[in-house]
Amino acid sequence: MLRFFATRLAQLVLVVLAVTLLCYWMLNLLPGNPCVAAFGGAATEEQIAECERDRNLDDPVIVQWAKWGGDVLSGDFGKSYLTGRSFGEAITTALPRSLLLLAYSQILALGAAIPLGLWSGYKQNSLGDKIISGGAFGLLSIPVFVLGLVLILVFAVRLDWFDLSGYQPISEGLVAHFRVMFLPSVALAAGLLPVYLRLLRTDVIGTLREDFVGTAQAKGLPVRHVLLRHVLRPSSFTLMTIFGIQAAQAVNGAIVVEFMFDLDGVGSLLVAWVAAREFLLVQTLVAVIAVVFVTVTTIVDLLYAVLDPRVRRR
Amino acid sequence: MTQMTDAVTAVAVITGAEPEAPMRRQGRNLVLWLSAGWLVLVIMISVLAPWLGFLDDPYEPLVGPPEQGPSWSHWFGTDQLGRDMFARSVWGGRLSLAIAAPAVGIGIVVGGVLGVLAGYFGRWVDLAVSSLVNVALALPALVFALFIVTILGQTYLNVIIAVTILTIPAIARIARAQALRFAAREFVTVAHMMGAKWPRLLFREVVPNVVPALASIAFLAMGIVIIAEGSLSFIGMSVGSPSITWGNILSAGKGRLEDAPHIALITGGVMFVTLMALNFVGDEMLRRLDVREARI
Repeated sequence: MLRFFATRLAQLVLVVLAVTLLCYWMLNLLPGNPCVAAFGGAATEEQIAECERDRNLDDPVIVQWAKWGGDVLSGDFGKSYLTGRSFGEAITTALPRSLLLLAYSQILALGAAIPLGLWSGYKQNSLGDKIISGGAFGLLSIPVFVLGLVLILVFAVRLDWFDLSGYQPISEGLVAHFRVMFLPSVALAAGLLPVYLRLLRTDVIGTLREDFVGTAQAKGLPVRHVLLRHVLRPSSFTLMTIFGIQAAQAVNGAIVVEFMFDLDGVGSLLVAWVAAREFLLVQTLVAVIAVVFVTVTTIVDLLYAVLDPRVRRR
Repeated sequence: MTQMTDAVTAVAVITGAEPEAPMRRQGRNLVLWLSAGWLVLVIMISVLAPWLGFLDDPYEPLVGPPEQGPSWSHWFGTDQLGRDMFARSVWGGRLSLAIAAPAVGIGIVVGGVLGVLAGYFGRWVDLAVSSLVNVALALPALVFALFIVTILGQTYLNVIIAVTILTIPAIARIARAQALRFAAREFVTVAHMMGAKWPRLLFREVVPNVVPALASIAFLAMGIVIIAEGSLSFIGMSVGSPSITWGNILSAGKGRLEDAPHIALITGGVMFVTLMALNFVGDEMLRRLDVREARI
């Protein structure tokens, strides 16, 4: 277990080093002086000189990168030269929103996929299974921005059940919070649900053929008990395995969804900074996303080890 | 082995084609032909768009009253400026396909070569390719696509570069799994015992068996690239204006949902049907070729 953890930690560090170095190298490909660009073309000589000193622009790329890494580790994430707003300030508002959005969508997706997947695997080839599987296939083909538009039209514009007024924190009350967060979470969950459902269904069909399931059924245990207690756990390994990749997909979706619903999360921050040509901030943000992301998948890996004792022994 | 090395690719997930298909063979055949027919139609119209006489100029304002719903003279209605939405959808699809097709083509060639080399030669080649693929797969692709487009600029070529990079790791992974599977098969061993050298083994025995899987993956990858490009253009980061893409039609239509929902909904519907057709054809090909490794 300790070794498993150490390997994952080493992977985490390697990924972050590789990603940030790559970003630095690509940024270096940009024609012109990033410090001139950082001020939107309206900077004084001193400002540019200060920025150049800050960013160590006279050093080779690899040294710049190392110094930047040192700054970040000591808590200096840089700031926008255009607005003067610090990176830390922006990220502390944005990150919780994005993490909540991702968490809600995973809860919704798993909450729907687990019962539907168990049931359609159990009732394989029944009419219900066909409808569920067909629906999942359709859902898989709807881009998140198309589904989001339909949700907005039906539930926010026509029925007026939900708000599109931008983010409301939980402190404003749960109702206000979910009136804003529910639709984006559903839009995001819709992309995850069919993947989870199809994998679970396939694995459930496999598990149902095992002897121990037959034994449980022969003992006269109720179907629900057999499915939840005996079938679900051994059928969920593939689901856990792909969770990391799906989380990557979810982050892609979150960028679009946050943009669409004006949530001002990390994705919106990224898009805004990219549009404003704040490359120095974009670079740090990409590094932060990579770190958070790899950390989350590492935690999931550990959960995987809890679910499947075979992983622990290795 | 850890989750990251076991990771399923985004493409592979979609190919969760289980042997116990939820639909009967006849039904699947019908849907397969419908899907193929739709794809042929979309491709034909997209390719021939400049020569289709009945198509309005997609940039010409006030060919009809603004924000009018679908009608006989404007099948998909008109937008805020009174431009013909059918023409705009066609030209948007044309650009989306013109980005997706080369991206998938390059992705298949580069990813296929990397994957086959890794799967066939193993050892350090495999280690190098696999590590690269795993790192790439474990990161949110759109973030990097955005970064690439910003740095290089919002041109047609750069968008292709950004979305191509996104397809390579997934395709390499599947090609590797296929190459591994076939490299261990008896006919390859026999050819080896008969004295065949590695180029022959690779190109005459292994590669021909990997190609069908890659061809089916191409359909699925096409869908993923269309979504990726759509996401980029939806947030305004694909090919710059005044180019028309499906994504920017939807983005513009978002603001008019209340009064003129047809602008976003019809184009969104066309996109959805196209993606579903791509997924169905790819899925069905994988099922028929029995490519199970695609979802390991």
